[in-house]
Amino acid sequence: MDAIFAILTIFTQPQLLILVGIGTFAGIYIGAIPGLSVTMAVSILISFTFSWEVYPAISLMVGIYMGGVYGGSRTAILLNIPGAPSAIATAMDGYPMAQRGEAGQAIGVTTVMSFFGGLIGILVLALAAPLVSDFALTFQPRDYMLLAVLGILLVGSLSTGSLVKGIFAGALGIAIGAVGRDPLTFAERFTFDFKILEGGISFIAVMIGMFGISEALQQLHNVDKAAVRQKISKIVPSFGTIRKYLPLSLQTSSIGVVIGALPGTGGDIAALMAYDHAKRVTKTPSRPFGEGAMEGLVAPETANNAAVGGAFIPMMTLGIPGDAVTAIMIGALFIHGLNPGPMLMIDQPDMFWFIVGALLMANVFMLIFGLTGIRIFTKIVEMPRAIIIPLIFLLSIVGAYAVNNSITDVYWMLGFGVFGYFMRHYGYPLGPVILGVILSRLLDDNWRRAIISEREDLGRFFEGVVTSPLSLTLFIAVILIFVSQTPIWTRAKSRLFGKAVS
Amino acid sequence: MDPEFRGDADHHDGTSDAAPGGYVNQRRPGELGFAIFLTLASLYLLYDAYNISGFQALSAPGAIPMATTFVMAISAVIIVLRTAPLPRVRSETFRKDILPVLVIAFIGLLIGFGILLKPLGFLPTALLFLTLSIKLLTRKTWPYSLGVSVGSLVIIWIVFRVVFTVLLPAGIVPEAEFLQLLRNLANGGA
Repeated sequence: MDAIFAILTIFTQPQLLILVGIGTFAGIYIGAIPGLSVTMAVSILISFTFSWEVYPAISLMVGIYMGGVYGGSRTAILLNIPGAPSAIATAMDGYPMAQRGEAGQAIGVTTVMSFFGGLIGILVLALAAPLVSDFALTFQPRDYMLLAVLGILLVGSLSTGSLVKGIFAGALGIAIGAVGRDPLTFAERFTFDFKILEGGISFIAVMIGMFGISEALQQLHNVDKAAVRQKISKIVPSFGTIRKYLPLSLQTSSIGVVIGALPGTGGDIAALMAYDHAKRVTKTPSRPFGEGAMEGLVAPETANNAAVGGAFIPMMTLGIPGDAVTAIMIGALFIHGLNPGPMLMIDQPDMFWFIVGALLMANVFMLIFGLTGIRIFTKIVEMPRAIIIPLIFLLSIVGAYAVNNSITDVYWMLGFGVFGYFMRHYGYPLGPVILGVILSRLLDDNWRRAIISEREDLGRFFEGVVTSPLSLTLFIAVILIFVSQTPIWTRAKSRLFGKAVS
Repeated sequence: MDPEFRGDADHHDGTSDAAPGGYVNQRRPGELGFAIFLTLASLYLLYDAYNISGFQALSAPGAIPMATTFVMAISAVIIVLRTAPLPRVRSETFRKDILPVLVIAFIGLLIGFGILLKPLGFLPTALLFLTLSIKLLTRKTWPYSLGVSVGSLVIIWIVFRVVFTVLLPAGIVPEAEFLQLLRNLANGGA
């Protein structure tokens, strides 16, 4: 009963409702402008909501997240440029539809299906999170440590091509997170005797640098690319169309939630898997896949929005973010004095239910804004990059400065921005860095707790891992990810595959 | 669109987020140098991590830093070994595709922004930065860049200073006095 009241908090305060609305609106447009990403928007905005109360801040960020995941599909359909990685699969059939002059229809169906997907994701979050959090109370420190390692590895291996580069990025993040005085022993770590480093590096500076500055620098390469004008007709889809694709969307939503809920995997992988699923189960698509099949549009769009709710499950119950955006959300919760993890559900269940309520509202706003305002939308998307890019730089600087009123943070941000720029160019994923920075403390604390409780004995530590089914599962998962990247795996696979063929 | 394709797509069409660039079977100009730099940096960090507490205890403050920098060093070496034998991307040059003059110019502008922010104050510095960079990017007239800059700066200032109440260095502009004047006007009118 309390839960229902907490969900309804959002409706009792119009100010919060408006903030969710503004957030969703901004998220859709930011997600849709090529070159502006949700990750960037959320990271820059967190610094501005720093001084706010926790409820308004969360309202705004939830809105941006939800809107941004959806907004990425717009440019995928209209320009064949996914506004976010989660919209990569959307472009495969969405753009061919736009080329046939069916852009309006494609956007309409995408919006309604995103709404359904989002709704299912949130419902699963509301039902599953309390259970997961009860279960998480039985976790030992070593389980948290393994889970953190698993999360970083998964982000490194699944979201991008090269696992080695992902591992490097994750380890780098953990090292950045360790800079400063050790909270337990007060020993200096990676300070190089600089006083300025003793307090550590502000994770906001790292984040805005990596996602704001480096991205804007990257966009300087595209400054002369002209915006493409598209004609958009009727967008509200007919009831019949929706009913026709509802069964498929229910299936792909479940894929989305499950994939989203796995630590380290987010909307992008969910969308690609859903697309693959749709391809397998649809016997007679409206058109061949890749040439504008409606099924190829419905599947990834439901899945990536369902993954939003899914991604909140590990984030809220375990304190382990699912992807870069949830990593940033966790950072925001930390800043506002909340501690995501199983205790959050026990100490502050209201906060959890409030977030569920905010997500629900953001989903409704997404439907409303998605089906209206298409005219303003085309105007905003056509805004020249030559003006947007300098503004992003400006906002990044303001954001980095605002958190601690410190010019040092601005320099850190610039440094990480330039470093991130090179990482982007050479194919190093940035997500694991942020995940590493956020999880560094958790990993360090839990490792030390675990090993001290085993009296500093590695043998006993591994005995503990092997005898607990949960730790063993996590441990095997970590090992499997490693093995899957070595030549041993490829050889074993080709042998197995070879046998299957013969 | 091939999901495994990580080549030129994100480099030229503006696909955003942390989707990395790079080619699967070729190396871009400077890629090997970057990998070697990362290896050396990781080794130095490993040495530094060892100095935190050495092999004192498994729960020592230096344990996790040593483990992570060790992982960094190993993976960086593997990256170097994997990158070195790859053929170079023929169509790209370091000066044109990785670090063009424009990017260097902007890094310079940003550093300038940081240096001037405290002494000059946010508003003049931001105006200078916006005008210069919009002029640089649009190649339109000075009045145009100045106009766009002033317009956007007013909006940003209202949103962040007044709505978000973010404190920014005032520098030479009597910002607080101006805000107070506005408040007085508003109160007087009410």
